[in-house]
Amino acid sequence: MTFDLSEEEKIESPQGSEENIKSEILTVNMGPQHPATHGVLRVEIKTDSEIVTEAISHIGYLHRCFEKHAENIDYRGVIPFVDRMDYVAAMNMEHGYVMAVEKLLGTEVPRRAEYIRVLVAELQRIASHLMFFGTYSIDLGAFTPFLYAFQEREFILRIFEELSGARLLYNYIWIGGVWNDITDGQLKRLSGFCDKMEREIDKYHNLVGLNKIFVERTARVGVMDEDLCYDYGLTGPILRGSGVKWDLRKDRPYSIYSEFDFDIPVGTGEHGVLGDCWDRYWVRMREMLESIKIIRQVLEGIEAGPVMGKVSKIIKPPKSEIYLRTECPRGELGYYLIADGGKVPYRVKVKSSCFTHVSVLSAVAPGLMIADLVATIGSIDIVLGEVDR
Amino acid sequence: MHEELVQIINGAVPEAKAQLNSAEIGDSSITVDSSAIYKVCETLKNNDKFNFNVLQVISGTDFLPEGEEGYLELAYILASFTKNHEVIIKTKLSRGSDDNLPKIDSLCKLWSAANWLERETYDMIGVDFVGHPDLRRILTSSNWEGHPLRRDYVVQEIFNGMVVNPPEKMNLEDQQFGVKTNADSLSNKNPMGI
Amino acid sequence: MSTMTPPLTFKSYFSNIWTAVRTVFKGLTITTRYIWAEKPVTIEYPEVREVLPENSRSRLYNDVENCIACNQCATACPVDCIYIASNRRDKEAPKIKTKDGTPIRLDLTQYVIDTSLCCYCGLCTVVCPTECLTHTTDYEFSQYTLDSMKYDYLEDDIRAWRDRIVK
Repeated sequence: MTFDLSEEEKIESPQGSEENIKSEILTVNMGPQHPATHGVLRVEIKTDSEIVTEAISHIGYLHRCFEKHAENIDYRGVIPFVDRMDYVAAMNMEHGYVMAVEKLLGTEVPRRAEYIRVLVAELQRIASHLMFFGTYSIDLGAFTPFLYAFQEREFILRIFEELSGARLLYNYIWIGGVWNDITDGQLKRLSGFCDKMEREIDKYHNLVGLNKIFVERTARVGVMDEDLCYDYGLTGPILRGSGVKWDLRKDRPYSIYSEFDFDIPVGTGEHGVLGDCWDRYWVRMREMLESIKIIRQVLEGIEAGPVMGKVSKIIKPPKSEIYLRTECPRGELGYYLIADGGKVPYRVKVKSSCFTHVSVLSAVAPGLMIADLVATIGSIDIVLGEVDR
Repeated sequence: MHEELVQIINGAVPEAKAQLNSAEIGDSSITVDSSAIYKVCETLKNNDKFNFNVLQVISGTDFLPEGEEGYLELAYILASFTKNHEVIIKTKLSRGSDDNLPKIDSLCKLWSAANWLERETYDMIGVDFVGHPDLRRILTSSNWEGHPLRRDYVVQEIFNGMVVNPPEKMNLEDQQFGVKTNADSLSNKNPMGI
Repeated sequence: MSTMTPPLTFKSYFSNIWTAVRTVFKGLTITTRYIWAEKPVTIEYPEVREVLPENSRSRLYNDVENCIACNQCATACPVDCIYIASNRRDKEAPKIKTKDGTPIRLDLTQYVIDTSLCCYCGLCTVVCPTECLTHTTDYEFSQYTLDSMKYDYLEDDIRAWRDRIVK
């Protein structure tokens, strides 16, 4: 077996001279029950002392046959299942699916419902990125930021609970609109939340992002450049962290995103090189600020009106197919929906961003220290529910 | 856009016999011959005007109308992140059998993303990708039998010495709506915990 | 990757130490503030119970007196956890109506929800024509066995439970 460690790394390895000490390739299983793998991901690592020479990811421990299930449930019944893919960002999952079905049906969604959809999607993006912030800190050995992040996330979940009735798996965005209307009181609370959140993000960044230990752990680690991103089909914050200005909300606007004014944060390589873990972290933090910007505009522009359009009781899209991508917190989510004119979808294929993101591990891992691999896995922010589906 | 793509494909790869399926509702797609899929994708990737640089999805669908032989349809969805395009390339395959899976060229040399996407398609639909470096099952267990997303798929009964979907755990009695047969199991002494 | 680190110079050595001390101190001031400046956000659960919002989707409750056994909830359920059985009501039997005036033509003989399968999506409550099937805000219903998660809504003690939960 050959392992392509570059010359420099061999010299850098702690043993010093290679001739005296014979190192052995050791296989270590990280996961499937491991706190740093964010779920049931198993990474089979072949290590040469502390340096990873090969990492093979094994997935499928959380496979719940979503695509097979979807062939047997009617179009409305799929929505609760869609929630369970990326359970940290369920609203965004629903949004994509519902829009795909609506496009096939030709349903018109009321303006107020569109506003609420954008509102909850952006709130969910903040909640999801807060989750990333918290778990990433835990991965790197800091527990406190996790609790700080959950404090703010709790507010968002509470709003969602009042809107939809559930804290995590909402089934809130429905075909034709949304389930419940949002009240003025909730909108007022949200505008207060926006002001608070901006200060909080600044605080978090001071607490964690600028900390020298954090910077040392993440800068120059797990570098993914633009070509690698295209090669592996990486999207979302990873692609933006590599300096590519690409966001579906701007480039292929869906829903009513074209009416809002916001920026696309991209990585700059401020503390290390372009496309390292720190850049990905920083992109996510700034995305939260952009989301707040969008939420503010929603709160200003939201119109009165109904929240549910006219949809027939039994949903039967004509024989057709559609591929629709939306920008989720973790990357692009695509639904490839084939309808055969019946009550149930003929095929729902999900292009999950996490699935492709996990596949890049084997390309990035060789040459990393084990601790850096943990930092890399954390920085691509996977949810195993979406990987395995 | 699609007409132009068909011309580009047919110009560069005549054996692909590209055809446009234009749709009024939903998305249009291009059907090509399965033997030319690698060349078609290569052409689209290296085309300067469209530059489809990202492979998004490899999706397989099993079409099995009753009484007919049926076919598999693979959809390759390519996207261009530099020029902002998106296209669905479709190809048809025979359904084959369990020991003789339908074959198609692997795209691993074009995109590394194809590696896992093809493994998933192999696992779920049962398509043999010729030239794939590591064609193993990915979502199901390595010794699983059958390909779940096929329409005629039947779950194996015994897996690793365990009974799959044991009847006593499936609530089968309850699902037979009708007479209240399962009264004993239901009238728990204290069902509400009060 | 360690190979990409810029070379360590005399100046960068000390500036590194200075940044480390400065940033760690900055972080510590933030955390220290939490000792007195921020209120606790957690609640001590068994003593203090959180009141869920009104439309919170928790344990299902079916008011069988208003149920017309239309089977729509069982059809809408994506996980098939509602089991309904009914007989046609005798013509001689006295005519009864639900609260909103819908005549009851079927006698309910079984209405069971397997709560251990339920995914709390709320699709069943939406389709219910007489609005007898509702979500309650009761979230404390753990049981010892799976069997006891099957709730038979024709049992007598259900109403007692309902009265206890819903004020």
